[in-house]
Amino acid sequence: MTRRQVRNAMRRLRAEHDESEEETTEINLVPYMDIVTNIIIFLLASVITQVPLGNINVTSPTIGPGSAEMDTPKEKPPLNLTVTLAANGFIIGGSGAVIEPIKKLPTGQYDFDGLTNQLAEIKRTVAPDETKAMFNADAYIPYELVVKTLDSMRQDKKGKLLFPDITFAAGIL
Amino acid sequence: MAASAHPSDELSRLKGKKAVRAYARKLAEPETIKDLNITPMMDMMTIILVFLLKTFTSATTFISQDQNLALAPSDTPLQAKQAAMVTITKRVVLVEGEAVVTINNGRIDPALKRDGENGYYITSLVELLNKLSNKERKVAELTKGKFEQELLVVADRNTPYRLLTEVLYSCGQAGYANYRLLVLKNRE
Repeated sequence: MTRRQVRNAMRRLRAEHDESEEETTEINLVPYMDIVTNIIIFLLASVITQVPLGNINVTSPTIGPGSAEMDTPKEKPPLNLTVTLAANGFIIGGSGAVIEPIKKLPTGQYDFDGLTNQLAEIKRTVAPDETKAMFNADAYIPYELVVKTLDSMRQDKKGKLLFPDITFAAGIL
Repeated sequence: MAASAHPSDELSRLKGKKAVRAYARKLAEPETIKDLNITPMMDMMTIILVFLLKTFTSATTFISQDQNLALAPSDTPLQAKQAAMVTITKRVVLVEGEAVVTINNGRIDPALKRDGENGYYITSLVELLNKLSNKERKVAELTKGKFEQELLVVADRNTPYRLLTEVLYSCGQAGYANYRLLVLKNRE
């Protein structure tokens, strides 16, 4: 067997082998894989930056002109509780009575815990079934403090509901 | 013939055959793994992708916060719900993403208000909200549903209360009475 014959035989074997290998080759999934991985990384990054959002429900008695709503403002809740967020602290009033204002803390912060405790006391002693309250604030009070006050009015430290139905009233009317 | 063959020819023939057989054996040998089988990983990736896309589409509200709009934190237990959206940023008031009035230093230009400096009625805002509420009423009528009078209010944490009440008053004039203030839930 000459060298040439040996080479030819080897070439033939290689060709047969390659042919059989080609027949069993799968689709190349690698590019698809790249795309999917990129999309997943993008989506995961977006999910991480997604923030938990919540609601605070408030109402306003100003519904606008219309006869259907005319009766609503006439109804007066039994305890006309109003919390006002003023420059020097909270002013709580209701049904003709105004109690001692809750002044700011010595640090200059509003006393949100004091407000919660005061409202819990009112709820316990005066109106256990009442859930409505009105809210008002000075013109320049930032929204962040409004939300904090609404949080303090909603429930006490133990999670017991105080006055969750807030109406933005006096300032609007 | 074989007897007449030269011994050296016979030797080279045997050597050649041996070499070919060795090569054939080499080819027939099971190959070492060249490529990793990525099909199961593909399956897994596809499932994760579908799951993430589903999570994305089921999320109710997306707010992109930036320097002009930072939500206020709150410990409210209520989840955010979808409704027509009024946004108050540091610079502009938007209704459903459409800019309506501009804000300068937390105040709206008195010329844009019906009653001037001390007024609450923001004319262009009421007009746009009227259109929106009429549309919602019509949809509610056709679907035999109820017009909920609900608005989702997204406000920057430094928005002054006066500006908030002006916007809410204008919303009230357009027939909306229930507001959902969108806040950032504190992580427990």
